[in-house]
Amino acid sequence: MVTNQPWPGRPADSDLAEPVPAIELRHATKRYGEAVALDDVSMVIQPGEFFCLLGPSGCGKTTTLNLIGGFIPLTSGDLLIEGHTVNDLPPHKRNVNTVFQSYALFPHMTVAENVAFGLRMEKLSKADIAQRTREYLELVGLSGLAGRLPAQMSGGQQQRVALARALAKRPAVLLLDEPLGALDLKLRKQMQTELARIHRQVGTTFVFVTHDQEEALSMATQIAIMSNGTVLQQGSPREVYDRPANRFVADFVGDTNFLAGTVRRDGGQAVFDVGSAVVDVQGDAEAGPATLMIRPEFLALRQGDATDGPRGLTARVVNVAFLGNHTRITVSTAAGEMVVVRPHGTRDSTADTQRELGEEVCVWWRTENAALIRE
Amino acid sequence: MTVASDGGVPSGPAAGSSSGLVKRFGRALPALPGLAVLLFLFLVPMAIMFVFSFWRTNNDFVVVPEWNLGNYARFFVEGTYLRTFIKTLIMAGLVTVAALAIGLPFAYFLVRYTGKLTQRVILLAVIVPFWTSYLVRVYAWQAILGEHGALNQILQAIGVIKVPLDIFNYDDPGVFVVLTYIYFPFALLALYASLEKFDFTQLNAAQDLGARPDQAFRHILLPQIRAGIITACIFVFIPILGEFLTPTLVGGAQSSLIANLVLNFLRNDQFAEGAALAIIIAAFVTAIMIVFRKSFRVEDVVTSG
Ligand SMILES: Nc1ncnc2c1ncn2[C@@H]1O[C@H](COP(=O)(O)OP(=O)(O)OP(=O)(O)O)[C@@H](O)[C@H]1O
Ligand SMILES: [Mg+2]
Repeated sequence: MVTNQPWPGRPADSDLAEPVPAIELRHATKRYGEAVALDDVSMVIQPGEFFCLLGPSGCGKTTTLNLIGGFIPLTSGDLLIEGHTVNDLPPHKRNVNTVFQSYALFPHMTVAENVAFGLRMEKLSKADIAQRTREYLELVGLSGLAGRLPAQMSGGQQQRVALARALAKRPAVLLLDEPLGALDLKLRKQMQTELARIHRQVGTTFVFVTHDQEEALSMATQIAIMSNGTVLQQGSPREVYDRPANRFVADFVGDTNFLAGTVRRDGGQAVFDVGSAVVDVQGDAEAGPATLMIRPEFLALRQGDATDGPRGLTARVVNVAFLGNHTRITVSTAAGEMVVVRPHGTRDSTADTQRELGEEVCVWWRTENAALIRE
Repeated sequence: MTVASDGGVPSGPAAGSSSGLVKRFGRALPALPGLAVLLFLFLVPMAIMFVFSFWRTNNDFVVVPEWNLGNYARFFVEGTYLRTFIKTLIMAGLVTVAALAIGLPFAYFLVRYTGKLTQRVILLAVIVPFWTSYLVRVYAWQAILGEHGALNQILQAIGVIKVPLDIFNYDDPGVFVVLTYIYFPFALLALYASLEKFDFTQLNAAQDLGARPDQAFRHILLPQIRAGIITACIFVFIPILGEFLTPTLVGGAQSSLIANLVLNFLRNDQFAEGAALAIIIAAFVTAIMIVFRKSFRVEDVVTSG
């Protein structure tokens, strides 16, 4: 990416062998008076990443994007874009562009004029502007609608205009603040696929804000899970799903069963006491109070009196919900209710889907599929 | 179901032609008072004025039907009228500029940085003076700007001046200040109404796309509030062309605006001359309105479409 703007500030003293991160936050803090919107956040976003900021409402996602975009100043800490500290650089000089949640299209300009606006500000030649406008409208599939006004377009189309307008600037990083939030479910799915394609096609770093965990898991290459102005965990979708750092992450990303209990050493083995029951946990666990976390799809049911396989918990079926491609069974154990998800169409699950209400069963799982969380 | 024989009122069921007429009349009834006012209090007097303007006032101060263009010629021949008219335009222009210059930043600040409640309180404070009569407000300004007014007394008390200033007293600057005070609220309300509809994230978006703040203002905000600015201009500029009270009360003999000259004619029973001058002003206002109206339409298409 070439910029003709001289970057003020010092270059990062990072190892030259490593790629320069697209975005780096160092102890970034943002306060609004007493309230802390972002609390000492350090985060590295590598170039080319589809990076999702995921978290509940008010956790500081928009604040993070606004800081990167330059719309609000940092209270303390540093922000680096492509290795340059940009703390005091105004938005119009930053090599990042934003797709706003409300799109913020210019209603008095046609679609083409909207896309061309940023290029006009760059003082590109008329021919270049026309050529690039065409190129990016084509990228988002709006070639035929260049002459329309934003008000004459559907929400999904406006979304694409906002996308084309930001991408036409060829930024180092594209910031997207819940861009699909206003779309209905079907359109949303369609735009998710579309965004993934565009990301692959242009190769720009995307920083994508959402509070929809499914969206984050399906689209991101990296996810940062935020809560109360801090980043709780950062990793690939697989990592945060399979090995959540804490209870909040486990709960927020996907459905989870939690069992509160105590780890005890029993000879060479670690076991977990849940009420009066005992289950096995992975060998290296330290003794002490802990929470055992198992995803619903890792739980299985067998006859209450069966003794084959690992130890499980005695349970009673309290609800069976048939959901098309899977069945969701709620069972009640001494340690509380647990949710079991059994997919259809696999050989071993057939028996499980036939559970009757009130039936006495044993709910069990493989030790490697359960994670211990300590608080 | 029976069908109305004349078909004159499609929505009316089974109506004879006479009851159809009644119905139509009934529908127009609410508009009649308005039409009557328009006809008898506006169009008829306008027509009389128009005719008078081509007649002549004789030596007994009676308007006689002798058709001539002398009343109009006077406007262009005798320097006073043209000079006063141009001065009025300049005054109206300056007040309009001042009202916009004060109103625009104020409305911007109000809409962007204050809550709805604060906005309402401040707008109310702006409107409250209208609850007192125009005359009272202008007299109040005499008490402030006059020779022994509050301004001079304060300035003398703190020793800035020794002798009372008279530039605000019986002169054009005083008229300017008072007119700005009186017409500023109209400008503010018009600007507020158009700014309130503006989505300020657009300014962030513009800067995000590489526009400096001033470019964002010029290319994004300004085109979208142009309708409000034009309305503000109309609300301020045009009434000032008819202003005679403030120049009379705050200004002196030399501060007359064009409407004062019309008034002078009427006081002297020179109705024909007065009518001609009034028609010239009306024609000018109409011309301005047509020009503004054009820009209006363009804006309406842009902002609503
Ligand atoms: N201008 C402001 N003044 C005061 N507090 C603010 C301001 N903007 C944001 N906050 C606070 O900072 C915190 C983070 O806000 P932010 O907008 O970043 O949340 P978010 O994660 O984007 O939430 P959402 O999903 O609802 O958009 C919130 O508690 C919010 O109340
Ligand atoms: Mg937000």
